[in-house]
Amino acid sequence: MGKRIYALNRDLHLYLGLFLSPFVLLFAVSVFYLVHVRAAEKSAPGLPRLVTGVPVKEELAQLTGLDQVRGLRPVLDHLGVQGEITFIRRIAKEHRLVIPVVVPGRETSVDLNLATGTASVTERRTGVVDAMIHLHKMPGPHNVAIRGNSAYMEYWRGLADVSAYGLLFLTLSGIYLWIGLRAERRVGIALLSLGAISFFGLVYAVSH
Amino acid sequence: MPSRIEYTFKIWNRKGHYYLGLYFLFFLWLFSFTGLLLNHGSWRFAEFWPNRKMSSTTSQIELPQAGTALDRARDAMRQLGISGEIEWTAAKPGSTLFEFRVNRPGHNFAVSLDPAQGRAVVEHTEINAWGVMRVLHAFTGVRAGDARNERDWIMTKLWAFSMDAVAAGMMLMIASGLYLWWGLRSKRVLGAIALALGSTVCGLLLAGVRWIS
Repeated sequence: MGKRIYALNRDLHLYLGLFLSPFVLLFAVSVFYLVHVRAAEKSAPGLPRLVTGVPVKEELAQLTGLDQVRGLRPVLDHLGVQGEITFIRRIAKEHRLVIPVVVPGRETSVDLNLATGTASVTERRTGVVDAMIHLHKMPGPHNVAIRGNSAYMEYWRGLADVSAYGLLFLTLSGIYLWIGLRAERRVGIALLSLGAISFFGLVYAVSH
Repeated sequence: MPSRIEYTFKIWNRKGHYYLGLYFLFFLWLFSFTGLLLNHGSWRFAEFWPNRKMSSTTSQIELPQAGTALDRARDAMRQLGISGEIEWTAAKPGSTLFEFRVNRPGHNFAVSLDPAQGRAVVEHTEINAWGVMRVLHAFTGVRAGDARNERDWIMTKLWAFSMDAVAAGMMLMIASGLYLWWGLRSKRVLGAIALALGSTVCGLLLAGVRWIS
């Protein structure tokens, strides 16, 4: 029984590890960008595209949170703009809504005038580095109420979850496999202790 | 018949796979778990912002006049007894105040110095352990596209180094894992299917989110 569980765990560790390796590699590479990249390779915004006859209703300005995002989605579709709405800024006096929309590698700013039914759409490329950092940070802790309002963000959230849960499983199954190796126990315990001291020592020093 | 070098490499590759995993275990748990927390901001049990503690103190200090902005900020921080990563904020138009933030996981200090009156106002925000964990996930002290802020605190540098080390360790573990798998002839076909499936899903995702656009 014990041998069968051990063998099953070893196979799961192997196959799940192989399946997850591209995701872990992607996250690992993006860490270097997150930690070290300073210069942005963002292009200058392009010329604004002016669109008239946009089907908008004044009530859109009164909505909040996800309701407002849902109300705006058909408008963005009409304008040919796709991606994650990062936030919505309302300029009440001018009956305007400013909506930044992001897909990794591209930012679009939609300036919507609810009174005149016009929109100014400005797009700019933000590049691969920004895309890497964006994906690593998303969905993130900000604007939780509306985050995940695009298909790609929901898709990404799912895969980031799979990577995180998968990695947690790999660590646990790895510990189980290591415990089975009597010859490696002493060195393993020493490294585990060293890792714990480094980790808790660093966390304590950084946060106190 | 494998050569002696190949045999030694095989042994140490295997050992290295275990050793790296064991050494980085707590870091991996932190980054995986906080990855989940960042992915699910609506999880109530891990709320930290509504439970934050805020306080404000005013004190008289000797404001340094000479040196760079960083030198002056460090001098003021020493007098105020605070430490952390300095974050420069946008100066308010027409203001004579010398303002900056000091961040470290769990604590944020908004410092406002009035050189004319020698007065320092410090607004302190403290968050709970869930918040500390989330901040640790991306505590780098710098941001892409923000040339003004540098990593200026030794602990931020150390933490950023540890993030690099974990990422490099993960890459080494992937490489050693691939080598270990390739040595298992009976597992090659199923392993290749798992690897191809993972690569395809990952590739489709990247194409799907217009990475390559």
